[in-house]
Amino acid sequence: MPSRRQTDFMHPKFAVVGHPNKGKSSIVSALAMDDSVQISDTPGTTTKKRSFPLKVDGEILYELFDTPGFQRARRVLAWLEQHDVSAHKKYEVVQLFINEHKDDPKFNDEIELLEPIMNGAGIIYVVDGSKPYGEEYEAEMEILRWTGQPSMALINHIDESDYSEDWKRALGYYFKMVRTFDPMNTSLEQHVSILESMAQLKEEWTASVKASIKLFEMYHEQMLERSSAVIAKVIYTSVSLVEKLMFHDEDATEDEKNRVEKQYKEKLRMLERSAQKSIEAIWNHDHLQKEQQSLPFDGMDLFSEETASVFGLSRKELLVTATASGAATGAGVDLLFAGSTFLLGAGIGAVIGGAGAFFAFNELSEIKVLGQTLGKRYLEMGPMENKNFPYILLGRTIYHTTQVANRSHAVRGVAEFAMDSTFKEKWLNDDLRKSLERYHKKFRSGKEVEAEELVEYEALIREVLKHLTNV
Amino acid sequence: MNLKSYLDLAELLDIDTSSREERRAFGLVNIVTKSKPGEQLSAWVRENKIKLNKPALSETFSSTLYSVTLILATIVFILGFLSGVGLLSYNGHEPVNVIYFIAMVVFLPLFTITLTLFSMFRANSSQSMLVHISPAFWMEKILRLLPNKIEDDLKEVKINPLLANWIVIKRSQIIALSFSFGLLLALLGVVATKDIAFAWSTTLSIGPESFHHFLHTLAFPWRDVYPSALPSVELIEQSQYFRLGDKLSDEMIQNASKLGEWWKFLAFATLFYAILLRFVVYLLSQVGLNRAIGRSFLMLDGAKKLLNDMNEPIISTHANENEQQFIQRSTAYDQMIHILDASYDAVQGWAISEENLSVIADSMKVISPKFFEAGGANTLDEDMEIIHHSKGEVLLYVKSWEPPTMDFIDYLEALAKRVDKVVVCPVGTMEDQYETDTREVNVWARKLSMFGSKKVWLRISSAKALGREALNAES
Repeated sequence: MPSRRQTDFMHPKFAVVGHPNKGKSSIVSALAMDDSVQISDTPGTTTKKRSFPLKVDGEILYELFDTPGFQRARRVLAWLEQHDVSAHKKYEVVQLFINEHKDDPKFNDEIELLEPIMNGAGIIYVVDGSKPYGEEYEAEMEILRWTGQPSMALINHIDESDYSEDWKRALGYYFKMVRTFDPMNTSLEQHVSILESMAQLKEEWTASVKASIKLFEMYHEQMLERSSAVIAKVIYTSVSLVEKLMFHDEDATEDEKNRVEKQYKEKLRMLERSAQKSIEAIWNHDHLQKEQQSLPFDGMDLFSEETASVFGLSRKELLVTATASGAATGAGVDLLFAGSTFLLGAGIGAVIGGAGAFFAFNELSEIKVLGQTLGKRYLEMGPMENKNFPYILLGRTIYHTTQVANRSHAVRGVAEFAMDSTFKEKWLNDDLRKSLERYHKKFRSGKEVEAEELVEYEALIREVLKHLTNV
Repeated sequence: MNLKSYLDLAELLDIDTSSREERRAFGLVNIVTKSKPGEQLSAWVRENKIKLNKPALSETFSSTLYSVTLILATIVFILGFLSGVGLLSYNGHEPVNVIYFIAMVVFLPLFTITLTLFSMFRANSSQSMLVHISPAFWMEKILRLLPNKIEDDLKEVKINPLLANWIVIKRSQIIALSFSFGLLLALLGVVATKDIAFAWSTTLSIGPESFHHFLHTLAFPWRDVYPSALPSVELIEQSQYFRLGDKLSDEMIQNASKLGEWWKFLAFATLFYAILLRFVVYLLSQVGLNRAIGRSFLMLDGAKKLLNDMNEPIISTHANENEQQFIQRSTAYDQMIHILDASYDAVQGWAISEENLSVIADSMKVISPKFFEAGGANTLDEDMEIIHHSKGEVLLYVKSWEPPTMDFIDYLEALAKRVDKVVVCPVGTMEDQYETDTREVNVWARKLSMFGSKKVWLRISSAKALGREALNAES
């Protein structure tokens, strides 16, 4: 075991300790952004200390420890107090306690939580500020004081009641710093704020923890960037998707036409599901369980008008977008003739664009029969003709991403992503719609989209995500 | 970056199973190429090429493309040669009209070069008609006639339309060059083996001066360097051939040696328009193809992720090892009571002060001669003292929101040994009128079920029970 002097030069470590069931694992889960930590209302869920290192390319910047709660604090304190030593020797008594009781199952939890502290970890003592203060906590805090390690207290609010003032007064007696943290509703700002407090615990740790803060900010940028790349890709792939079905008779039957349409829709849904999984993995929510009904495919289908009104553009918005887009194309013709067309091009373009949008509101893509002259007959569906589809899919994926990004890793249970008809207003405005339409038009055209164009499209999405996420 | 490395990258991305850590390690080793994604991807291909099955798809594709191009170029070369021989065929009666040859070596190349340049501008469209009419486009059709094994391999090759267009454009230039070389060879061959009388003839009323002016313009690239390769006005006058003459004119016969001088102009026209210009276009198509390959590298499925994986630091925050699975025990505890008795031998509170205990007991209409605070700030000796004085039936109030610790269980164990019955009664906060939350009581039930003493009972409160307690109190 490294000595106290040796551990001072190692990366900062922080042990999250406290009474059982006060949210230690929730706090670790939120700070480590790990949704695999077991969290339950049963005391004793955590039986072994667990390390959560923040690593950059394998190098540890700091390490968090989730620990079991105190079980026999008074007994431990009684043992310590039998040793009458001066303050600077107290940590040696704690070490002696660990050495002597290492194999005693009665003190398993205390040993597990004290070990990382005696190995140099700073103490983050967690209490529940929604429950009244009790004297039984004092034995725990006194033991921690015996370790002589830098410490801070975190007041967690498991319920709505607030006893934090009493807690602050009591905790202030034992700890140098008392902070409030709600692991269920974290944001990057709160996360950074806690890290800044942790950085102040010991001078030697400041640089490393400050570097971690910068890294966390970069990590969030990375996650936003990766998410926008996934979203851009799924929109492009879905809109340009072409589904084919060979048939052998003279003409395709109704059943074959239905089959190709079914396959086409299923592939689009599969693409969306796959994109959602990727985004959940990017945000470290691999264990996320979603209420599938809340991301509707049955009652409110991806292709239903209700979906269009919630996520996509309304018929009116679509009309305006298509008209503007058509007018812009027509204006190009006017420009070619140096205005001698008296803006007729723009006018005609607007009418064609608007009419197309009006009549094609409900249509996905025509089912084409191809290859008749060459003898190999097949049905083809796609690329997507419905001008609203990219907005619907984009709205859905952006909605999903913001829900995932804003969800704390401490939250367990099935996520209910309830749709909100006002969501569209939060991310889509006229300017953005015009910018997006330029790319959607290209995706629909079947032309090869250059890497630079996809990067530009990603940048638009990234800005939206940045605006919508709490990061 | 070339077509082979593009195809290798496409194949590698399909089969690659490298971890993010391995990719990042590669990125760190090749940090100098970080700002050059194309180079970085090429380096990655070189490093990982060994993973590809032999022969690599790129090898098969390239060698097939090379063979097909060679066959096609040879055929076209022969065609060009035969066309040249045909155009220059001289039977001794009628002079060879240079207009046909000029059309073939100047106007046809200029026309096709214009089309090529236009198709270069439109190369990023997957449905470029101009590309589709190119003979190189039909190479794909020829590929289908190849033996089955090769055809099956080539089906695996997926080239994006942008790149495919540039491949066709470049191959078209090779074929056109081959045709032009055929023409040049035919010209030189025929000139060397025959004494040809060249003439020019047109129905249009163009005089020798105008025609000379036209040729002078066409010969702008070489007229100053090789003046003899530009026919003089005199030669043009002498070699004009009229349809009404059924044989060579006397003047033409007298200047027979001069009429052959045309070949120099035709040779330079072929060299410049059909070969040199075409070669420039070929070089342009090579540049276009290289740029398309560069762009296509980034468009490959998985390429961007690979670059991100190589260039972004791996930040991980999760635990190194998996957590031991916690198995939730049943909440069923078979020693539960709903109604408290009216009195107990002692009322104790775990970390609840005596003052609060009497208030709680009073609110539940419970009376007792003794009230003790256990746990909390007590020493272990003080707790032992309380146990020592306990007997009969004890009502032990506990804070429902504080989960039972082993410290409590130790106390309960010792107490249960001493008394006849212990009723553990979880109570909520004073603000909640001591009402408990079911989830919290379940936690206590689970813990007591693990304890398993016949003397320990858990009190579960309910509205009905509270009413009964009130009745008890009245009776």
